[in-house]
Amino acid sequence: MAATFFGEVVKAPCRAGTEDEDEEEEGRRETPEDREVRRQLARKREVRLLRRQTKTSLEVSLLEKYPCSKFIIAIGNNAVAFLSSFVTNSGVWEEVGCAKLWNEWCRTTDTIHLSPTEAFCVFYHLKSNPSVFGSCPRKNMQITILTSRHVTEYKTSESTGSLPSPFLKALKTQNFRDPVCCSLLEQPNIVHDLPAAVLSYCQVWKIPAVLYLCYTDVMKLDLITVEAFKPILSSRTFKGLVKNIPQSTEMLKKLMTTNEIQSNIYT
Amino acid sequence: MASRYDRAITVFSPDGHLFQVEYAQEAVKKGSTAVGIRGTNIVVLGVEKKSVAKLQDERTVRKICALDDHVCMAFAGLTADARVVINRARVECQSHKLTVEDPVTVEYITRFIATLKQKYTQSNGRRPFGISALIVGFDDDGIPRLYQTDPSGTYHAWKANAIGRSAKTVREFLEKNYTEDAIADDDEAIKLAIRALLEVVQSGGKNIELAIIRRNQPLKMFSAKEIELQVTEIEKEKEEAEKKKSKKSI
Repeated sequence: MAATFFGEVVKAPCRAGTEDEDEEEEGRRETPEDREVRRQLARKREVRLLRRQTKTSLEVSLLEKYPCSKFIIAIGNNAVAFLSSFVTNSGVWEEVGCAKLWNEWCRTTDTIHLSPTEAFCVFYHLKSNPSVFGSCPRKNMQITILTSRHVTEYKTSESTGSLPSPFLKALKTQNFRDPVCCSLLEQPNIVHDLPAAVLSYCQVWKIPAVLYLCYTDVMKLDLITVEAFKPILSSRTFKGLVKNIPQSTEMLKKLMTTNEIQSNIYT
Repeated sequence: MASRYDRAITVFSPDGHLFQVEYAQEAVKKGSTAVGIRGTNIVVLGVEKKSVAKLQDERTVRKICALDDHVCMAFAGLTADARVVINRARVECQSHKLTVEDPVTVEYITRFIATLKQKYTQSNGRRPFGISALIVGFDDDGIPRLYQTDPSGTYHAWKANAIGRSAKTVREFLEKNYTEDAIADDDEAIKLAIRALLEVVQSGGKNIELAIIRRNQPLKMFSAKEIELQVTEIEKEKEEAEKKKSKKSI
């Protein structure tokens, strides 16, 4: 423990190991009760796949049956809004199933029903071209990941005030040969969380994958951030998937108005 | 690195940053856009109105406020901070009038607001104001003025500027389109402000609020109808310009 200048007490890292080792040893002895609780939690924490309409669970093997050539994953509300207004709006997309997970930090105890505030992933496939979707690595599959992050996490020698946010950066795996629609993410910037996990997986399994990361200064659902993803529409993956751009823009505006959260803090 | 030096406002980081002030500037970006234009005979303030909740009284959500008969300001950022700053500025305007028997100059009241903001960047236990302000008005000499202040307490005179969300986009638009011809005519200056806002406003004319001050006249807030009229005219002009372009290319 250490006290700072301003009177706060912070835990200082200590290379000599923990000071109170003896006391901790005593507390660490697990009772069978603790083990049982831990086992139950682990069971609850499983990832569940289910069909939303019928609320029955979906077998992973059923998902694997679908062939796939293009897999597009959108993470975060802006990327999802882009995908739902520009891509899933053109053509008929059928919802195949969804993956949901629960851990101790979730606010609800309901592991079956979905609510908009929880983490889940919905799988759709294009009815007219069922090869556009999948869940496990196949040959000739290409993966596109869309996500957004706050511009203050972008490390650059320029001042953040002069950055033209929102802006798009790309990161691709070695096997991705197509041209990217924007400049590549420079060092020392790194990608975090799910997009990083997906990209690493693709790099290891030699799947061509590209991540389009939008740096924005508005983290909630915002029209200008979503529109920053538009250059992607000219890429090979999206050509043919997007038909009606003006209609998509209208859909996007509707999405904005229905999802606006009222906050009076900032005017 | 930043986390060690951003807790207290009075602490500089090793490379000379005051992180709390810079974070306050991020708070400003969370407010909706405001644009100010200084014309030859008019000053214009345009803001993007935030959509109000269904049960909320629209009148209480105002981004453009009069500080005195001849000075008004628009802000972007924390609503509560703006209320405090505006109240202090209004009291100062009247106090100045009573003491010196002259109305404040725009520069004086801007300097007052900027000094107030700067004090809060140098006091222990307080945080900076999370607002930027655009202050416009006419001085006694009849010259129009536009000033901008930010959370650090700096202020500068501008010909045209924007603050809040997407301010950079609006500023770039203004840099391209602000010409001496454009601002010589009052109507053109008003149209320029509306066009600048339409670049970034999400739902068109009904989310714009506009205020103007003409020389020797009090502040005028535009009604929704008047703004709609202007927007329709702008759209007509755009269409005509596009028709001309396509004719030329043929």
